[in-house]
Amino acid sequence: MTNGAPRTDPPLHGIVAEYADPEALKAAAARVRDAGFKKFDCYSPFPVHGIDPAMGIRPTRLPWLILACGLVGCFGALWMQWWMNAVDYPFMISGKPLFSLPANVPVIFELTVLLSAFGAFFGALILNDLPRLHNPLFNLSRFRKATDNGFFLAIDASDPGFEEGKVKTLLGEGAVGVEACYDEDPNEELPPAFWTAGLILFLVALVPLGLAMKSRNSTSKAPRLHVFTDMDFQPMFKAQRASALFPDGRAMRLPVPGTVAVEDVAVEGPAETGKENGAWLAKSPVPWTVSNLKAGRKAYDIHCAVCHGATGRGDGPVALRARELAEAKWVAPTNLLDARIRGLPPGQVFDVITNGIRNMPAYAAQIPVEERWMIVGYLKALQRSRNATIEDVPADRRKELK
Amino acid sequence: MHQVDLEAVRNERRHLGELAPKVIRIALGLGIVGVASGVVFALIGAGWRHFLFSYTAAFAYVLSLALGGMFFVVVKHLTKAGWNVTVRRIGELSAATLPFLFLLFLPILGVVLAGSGELFRWADPEVARTDHLIHAKAPWLNPTSFALRWVLFFVIWTVISRFFFKRSVEQDESGDPALTKRMEFLSAPSMILFALTLTFASFDLLMSLDAHWFSTIFGVYYFSGAVVGFLSFAILAYMFLQRFGILQSAVTVEHYHDLGKLLFAFVFFWGYIAFSQYMLIWYGNIPEETVWFQHRQSGTWAGVAIVLLFGHFLIPFPGLLSRHAKRKLGILAFWAAWMMIMHYVDIYYIVMPNFDSHHAPLHVMDITVWIGMTSLFVALVAWVGRHCSLLPVKDPRLSEALAFENS
Repeated sequence: MTNGAPRTDPPLHGIVAEYADPEALKAAAARVRDAGFKKFDCYSPFPVHGIDPAMGIRPTRLPWLILACGLVGCFGALWMQWWMNAVDYPFMISGKPLFSLPANVPVIFELTVLLSAFGAFFGALILNDLPRLHNPLFNLSRFRKATDNGFFLAIDASDPGFEEGKVKTLLGEGAVGVEACYDEDPNEELPPAFWTAGLILFLVALVPLGLAMKSRNSTSKAPRLHVFTDMDFQPMFKAQRASALFPDGRAMRLPVPGTVAVEDVAVEGPAETGKENGAWLAKSPVPWTVSNLKAGRKAYDIHCAVCHGATGRGDGPVALRARELAEAKWVAPTNLLDARIRGLPPGQVFDVITNGIRNMPAYAAQIPVEERWMIVGYLKALQRSRNATIEDVPADRRKELK
Repeated sequence: MHQVDLEAVRNERRHLGELAPKVIRIALGLGIVGVASGVVFALIGAGWRHFLFSYTAAFAYVLSLALGGMFFVVVKHLTKAGWNVTVRRIGELSAATLPFLFLLFLPILGVVLAGSGELFRWADPEVARTDHLIHAKAPWLNPTSFALRWVLFFVIWTVISRFFFKRSVEQDESGDPALTKRMEFLSAPSMILFALTLTFASFDLLMSLDAHWFSTIFGVYYFSGAVVGFLSFAILAYMFLQRFGILQSAVTVEHYHDLGKLLFAFVFFWGYIAFSQYMLIWYGNIPEETVWFQHRQSGTWAGVAIVLLFGHFLIPFPGLLSRHAKRKLGILAFWAAWMMIMHYVDIYYIVMPNFDSHHAPLHVMDITVWIGMTSLFVALVAWVGRHCSLLPVKDPRLSEALAFENS
């Protein structure tokens, strides 16, 4: 204590009583509860079963908080993925639908767990009024036993029913000792150094963010930073390069003797080539029934729509992206609704799918023969539907159109 | 707040007593009628092949209950758990039925050894010769090694289940804590053997029904369902015993609460594993793997898959989420019964598409044989436990279990 400074007595924080065992603590808690006190708490070295009802504590709201956090995680993850994959940046991946629930489940699961855990952790802290930097109870040397072998009950002086004498008698019954606790340092302001340090830390934390923002908005001639050198410089050879690794000096290996190329074993009939006697087939060998056309549509959406677009207009996500990037070497996919394409015989369309054309690769390896004919059928239906006239509608159903 | 009345625990009924012959008589009767009804239905038109598949599904169901019980006992010793001493014996009794389940397995083994491809296509020597994939798997999938493996499985299960049951009952008399030490020591190798045998048994019994297909997670999938099935069975079994005045003080709402928590956890675990299997196959999109789900997503099987998704996971998950649902015994009993049914739907969904891959062939016998086989299992449990105390009275951790309380 400083000499000469005018000093008022420290305010009373509360009355603390120590008990010998959990049973005595529970009995005291029940008495305090029945006397109508609200601002009091129990302190014990371990969780005491049955202390909640003895103190008259209502069941915690924490589970509801966690449930709310979990639901936010669950539906937030679902909404986020739907918006990212199907709305903001639609991109087809291995023929899966843009919004595909199975692929979204892992993220939904993880975010549900993460936000539930956050809700439980931070919720428990907040509901317990934590973090609390100082508690006047620590002024009592006796209170140190609370983490060892002492059982304590403290009634706060701010409780409306608090009267020092009455409380002391109430707590005294069965207690090892009763003591008043004074708040030696009622000033609960944080020391200024704390704020200064916090501000400095906050500013330092902004530095990486600022550097990232700067890099995003400027150009640099310096070589890029290699963080994962193993990935950036892989010990592998480019095709057709020399290598000292093998005795013949080539990086590429020759096929094993006796290897047969896939094309060499393909059966070559009209159904497999789309041609008969040098002329393109005008009729599909696979019947274009409704179910076959539906299968054709599915295969078209998987294999063709990424470039040619779902309606065949040549506006698939790959084409749009290439246009956006202004790719110099990009050959735009054909608009399949053009009159020229519409005039092609089915056999020739089949041939293009089978062997590819210009930049379009061959799809013989990916799509079975029958399915290719189904795609041709669906394409013909698509072309007709996009160029339909009133004549195509059966006479008796024309009035349904508006 | 509750207090176990130790005096009441000491004086209450702990034995099945005169209840045992009653339970055995009724359950055995139901069991014989149930399984026999399948034979009758097979004779009057449903066909033997359908009966074989129904029987296999029902057998896989009761086998899972017994194995789930074994897991419950072994994991209790492995973790030196205290809370579940009071509810451990039902696990010991369920597992102790395993030697007798071998008798129920004999019809399946007979069909395989006879070289019939009716149930397992690979068992037909002609198929094994001509079908390329099955031919390649023949060193594993052939009647002889199948029979040898199953004898080995049942020997291991018998040894483990007898060991834990006998030692535990021995302790009821002697109260020797060294027995607990010994069970805890041997629980680790038992757990390893349990995991291996359950995995390969599920491969043989269920996965090889479609011998072209394979899934490395399949054993875990069967395991997750097995524990769900057993926990539901245990909850209902203790409620049944208490209704007849047995263990009314020893088994408290706290024990039900924890059994409910485990059930809740394994309901989620089942969903997690089922989805893990589904998603990797869906994403990889390789025909030889997707065909299993293709069958189970077309025709009426798609409906069964939806029933499973909601009934086995999405509905019981929030249903069991709340603390109150696990502590109100009526609600807990409802979910336990619900999960016992859903566990059968799960097994049905695994087995029956191999009988008819387009339409769920729901026949009365699918229900009666299942109820019959489950009744036989109940009769076996009661028979194995007809003399012993249903509470491990001298277990050194019993006082911990009695005083156990969820905060």
